[in-house]
Amino acid sequence: MIETRRLTKKYGGVAAVEDVTFSAAAGRVTGFLGLNGSGKTTTMRILLGLSRASSGQALINGRRYRDLDKPLRQVGSVLEQGLSHPGQSGRDHLITQGLLCGASRARVDRLLAYVGLAEAARQRSGDYSLGMRQRLAVATALLGEPPVLVLDEPANGLDPSGMAWLREMLRDHARAGGTVLISSHLLAELVQLIDDVVIIADGRVRLTAPLAEVAGDRVPRLRVRGGDPNRLWDAYLRAGAEVDTDGRVLFVSGLTAEDAGEIALHVQVPVYELVSETPNLEEVFLSLAASDNPGTTPTGLAGRR
Amino acid sequence: MSVLRSELYRTATVRSSWLAMFASLVLGLAFGWFSEDFWTLFAGLAAFGVAVVSTAQHYQHRTAVLLFLGQPRRLRALAAQCVVAVLITTVLTVISGLTVLPSGEGEQYLSTVTVVPLMAVYGVANATVVRHPTWLFSGYAGWLLFVELLIGRMESPLPFSSFLGAATGRTDALLAFAAWTVAALIAAGWSIRRDLTAD
Repeated sequence: MIETRRLTKKYGGVAAVEDVTFSAAAGRVTGFLGLNGSGKTTTMRILLGLSRASSGQALINGRRYRDLDKPLRQVGSVLEQGLSHPGQSGRDHLITQGLLCGASRARVDRLLAYVGLAEAARQRSGDYSLGMRQRLAVATALLGEPPVLVLDEPANGLDPSGMAWLREMLRDHARAGGTVLISSHLLAELVQLIDDVVIIADGRVRLTAPLAEVAGDRVPRLRVRGGDPNRLWDAYLRAGAEVDTDGRVLFVSGLTAEDAGEIALHVQVPVYELVSETPNLEEVFLSLAASDNPGTTPTGLAGRR
Repeated sequence: MSVLRSELYRTATVRSSWLAMFASLVLGLAFGWFSEDFWTLFAGLAAFGVAVVSTAQHYQHRTAVLLFLGQPRRLRALAAQCVVAVLITTVLTVISGLTVLPSGEGEQYLSTVTVVPLMAVYGVANATVVRHPTWLFSGYAGWLLFVELLIGRMESPLPFSSFLGAATGRTDALLAFAAWTVAALIAAGWSIRRDLTAD
């Protein structure tokens, strides 16, 4: 369980994060989403004891990171890219880190195989590609077999197969009861993976909710193109729907596709197109993440910030 | 203890580190062959250099993040780094000074071996404060040349001068250098708490 309470970090008079409160539950993957510079990394660094909060608390399993017993056995993390001495081989890097958390060399070799770096194990990590460095970082995070994972943009540099591997690994980790907090500036990167979402913008949390709820709150709308838009408009309004137009196309909210079709039949207007448009989560994310003002939260999501 | 083992393993497996140690060993043996005073000066500078490089490369390559994730109590991490630097530089000094012994300068050999650990700690502390080895080396090169050598004539109670004095058996110099080391450690103890930013 990860929890932040009213976390604030100021540099001079400028707040990098302010009053950040959210939690990431065990057995779930929590996506920490925000545009670049929104405060994700600052929050994660405070959580991991690398930066000090100006006020507020960041707790892992109820304790500050620095108070955890054998922290690498409890929390694995991926921060920045390519955190290894470039003159050290990938294997030596993992052994060095393994000595910090008591991981055996056999575990190091197993992890190298697991992340697909067995063949490059004795190669200098400075010669690794971006994707290989990211795999090495993930292996480093897993060394202590920690139940909690904190991953800052771990997908950077991974190819599609690497992304699929990462998704599967994190899903398995959560299914086994682990806690995963993963950040990204791209919702599309995480949407197939996360259970819960925390959106941060300008250093403030804009939304915390289960992803399914976010999607569910977005009222689907129908795109209707018929022979007589004006008669259809009137009919749908009379049925209590909200109607918008774009030329000869109507956008109808508050009716099912069946209702919309039957109303069109009833008023004897031929329908050439009737499509239910699924909510676009990327739009939700962008509208929240780019928001300068919490008051601009889209309808349907307000009140859960 | 885990940080100690990890740091020793890292130092032993980073090629630039053991090349630097090997070079300082060979040069130390050569200096000792010609002059015990040169050897003492070189042993001090080598200890400072090895300690600075082994500490500062953590900040240079951002692996300090990993170190502090493994040991979030940073004063303990600093202590482990000091112990590693002391171990390595003492071994290097003991071996590199073997060429001094045939000239009958056993006393200076022992004094130098005794004071070098302090220099190692001084190097770790400085690197913890400054974090950039290039800044540190260029700053100290100027300091050593202009302040300690030209102005102080290596006789003032400044760090490298007092190291040399201590290595030749002067108690007042030993105390002065110990005071410099303690001051540097206090600064390091404050400095190591600074945020590690993602720069």
